[in-house]
Amino acid sequence: MPASYLELRSVDMQYGEAARTTHALQGIDLDIHEHEFVTIVGPSGCGKSTLLYLVGGFLRPSSGSLRLRGQPITGPGPDRGIVFQRYSLFPWLTVRGNVGYGLGEQRMSRAERNRIVDAYVQLVHLRGFENRYPRELSGGMQQRVALAQALACRPEILLMDEPFGALDAQMRRILQDEVRRIWRQDAKTVLFVTHDVEEAVALGTRIVVMAAHPGRIKEVFERGFEVADGEEFETNPAFAALKLRIWRSVKAEFEAPAA
Amino acid sequence: MPLLTKVVPIALVLAAWELIARLGFVNPNVFPPVTDIVLRWFAIMADGRIAAPLYGTMWRSLLGLAGAILVGVPLGLLMGRVRLIEWFFEPLFAFGFSLPKIALIPLYVSWFGIFSLSKVMVIFTDCLFPIVIFSYHGARGLSSMYVWSAQARGTRRVRMLWRIVLPLSLASIYDGVQVAVVVAVLAAVVSEMVSGGGGLGELMIRSYRFGDVRTAFATLVTISLVGFAFFKLTHWLRSYFLHWHVSEA
Amino acid sequence: MKVFPVVKIVPLLLLAAAWQTASVSRLLPASVLPSFWDVAASLGAMMRSGELITHTLASFARAGGGFFLAVGIGIALGLLMARIRIVERALEPILLLIYPVPKPAMIPLFMVWLGIGNASKVAVIVLACLLPIVNTTFNGVRSVDQTLIWSAQARGTSSRRLLWRVVLPAALPQIATGVRTAIAIAIIVMVSSEFIASESGLGYLIFSYGGVGADDAMLAVVIYLATLGFLVDRCYLAGLQHLIAWHAFAH
Repeated sequence: MPASYLELRSVDMQYGEAARTTHALQGIDLDIHEHEFVTIVGPSGCGKSTLLYLVGGFLRPSSGSLRLRGQPITGPGPDRGIVFQRYSLFPWLTVRGNVGYGLGEQRMSRAERNRIVDAYVQLVHLRGFENRYPRELSGGMQQRVALAQALACRPEILLMDEPFGALDAQMRRILQDEVRRIWRQDAKTVLFVTHDVEEAVALGTRIVVMAAHPGRIKEVFERGFEVADGEEFETNPAFAALKLRIWRSVKAEFEAPAA
Repeated sequence: MPLLTKVVPIALVLAAWELIARLGFVNPNVFPPVTDIVLRWFAIMADGRIAAPLYGTMWRSLLGLAGAILVGVPLGLLMGRVRLIEWFFEPLFAFGFSLPKIALIPLYVSWFGIFSLSKVMVIFTDCLFPIVIFSYHGARGLSSMYVWSAQARGTRRVRMLWRIVLPLSLASIYDGVQVAVVVAVLAAVVSEMVSGGGGLGELMIRSYRFGDVRTAFATLVTISLVGFAFFKLTHWLRSYFLHWHVSEA
Repeated sequence: MKVFPVVKIVPLLLLAAAWQTASVSRLLPASVLPSFWDVAASLGAMMRSGELITHTLASFARAGGGFFLAVGIGIALGLLMARIRIVERALEPILLLIYPVPKPAMIPLFMVWLGIGNASKVAVIVLACLLPIVNTTFNGVRSVDQTLIWSAQARGTSSRRLLWRVVLPAALPQIATGVRTAIAIAIIVMVSSEFIASESGLGYLIFSYGGVGADDAMLAVVIYLATLGFLVDRCYLAGLQHLIAWHAFAH
């Protein structure tokens, strides 16, 4: 069987010593294919962010393996871009400086670098704000810069850790559409963590539901239908049905006594 | 266990110090071993040589501090609530802040003589700044809600200051006092070093002049202990004075 | 935040005017306080004769030398402490022990070790300025958000380059406040040391003029010193606002 694009096998993650161990992740097996948009949803403490950080190479698993294109993941790198919920922008750099940050680690001429920065600033609709500092931008704009910053490094996989969690509902919708649009355009692979079931269904072609204590994969859902940009998915019965199924799956974790 | 890790580096340094001094790598009269210093400290404590200077430094710093609180708190509070007073005094304090108040010692000596009063005035001036500044910011930062609520109940301006502004600003004022206490000891010691007239600072200079390094070190230890004790005392008393304050919740 | 609000000088001018009036009208006898004008004239004379410049340079050479040494050593130490556990464990108790010791009180001891010349003064200034800088550097580096570091790594920054590209810029606002404190401390210790034993410097001038009763000259230097300290602090703030324009200063 050919190895999948991103392969997680028996991934286990534990913190602490002896009696006070936190079992963040247990026996995670997951296969992710290229160009998929996978959303990971679950209650607090289910380890979804931990999972993302393991794929990103920021953490090492206690046991198990993570492979990208057959190669083990040993540390962070520009092939796996990440967007955090907060504080991923460098406050001392302008929008330009932030978007072009990763390019500064590569060898290229200033003209080339400017060209790429301009392209990505344009992509996230922030033309005219190039010389602003993060503190002068709204939350939504900051996340757009963070997205552009991650994309400018042309990662193979885009990791997103509840990127819109701190934003208001309207901004969230707008940015969800942006991410979906960019994904369709560039056909990247995206791994998106959220606690919002609606967001998970709106974005993910596959939705992974996780449970807590210990963190594990509970169920995986295939969305099976398309979601268009700007669609009012409240009116889509398939959407509502899937959302309800997933919500019930997540909710069961709250109502079940801890294992 | 954590206490042990804190003690170990200090113990190592002291042990190294002791060895270096005892093994003759340095002149023990220039860099005395730790044990000599500790013995000397106990000696001057026991025979009372340190009693008078210690007492002198302590009462002068406390007196200067008390004066600074009596004058500085009302001034700071007024600055925070009365525009005109703020307009006049804020630039004065902002400007004077950068001046080391000890530079005023010669002036104060010419006004108040070389004995205790000039020193107390230096301490007073030095402590005035943190107390005024903290009181000022405390009064300024008050939530208007409290003030409006009192005004709605017909409280007049002066009473307002006493019954509303002062209690609410107390946390900030107390922060200022905590800073000022340390400043007071420092100012006392430095003014004593410069103009004599008793106190730990003078003892320090005298030991230096006689080449008595052990006593100089012992005096330094005493000075540090006084400063530390004052600081800790104000820290502990904080909950006593401010247990009711919102910031302590 | 405006660093040099010109209008704030008015109360100072009023005070000077009141002073002068009080002196002229004999309300304030010259034996107590020379008139503002006499002091100003004295200041002018000292400036013209070059006396003030000479001693300013002497003072600030010491203070500056000690200060810059402390900045260099302090930032390095703070960084090492923040990054290497052992260094932190080793140095923290020692720094805590030195913290409550009033550094000006150590001046005589340093004079025993290093003589009464510049070396002892610079050494005390270094020691006094070290603590706020080490402290703020340590805290600043420690409080850099993990996500910033991870972001940088995910954009291809190697561990080696992290310090320069991310950690130091992120910690800079905090380090800058420590440096500002250190400037004030350097001036205080400089003056103290010059009062105690010196042949030159602004502190020496104040002390010796005061000693011979030349109050107008003494006060002239005091006011000059106050102004100098004020300007140094404000210029530092102005420079900082420019350098750290990106930081939301909560003033």
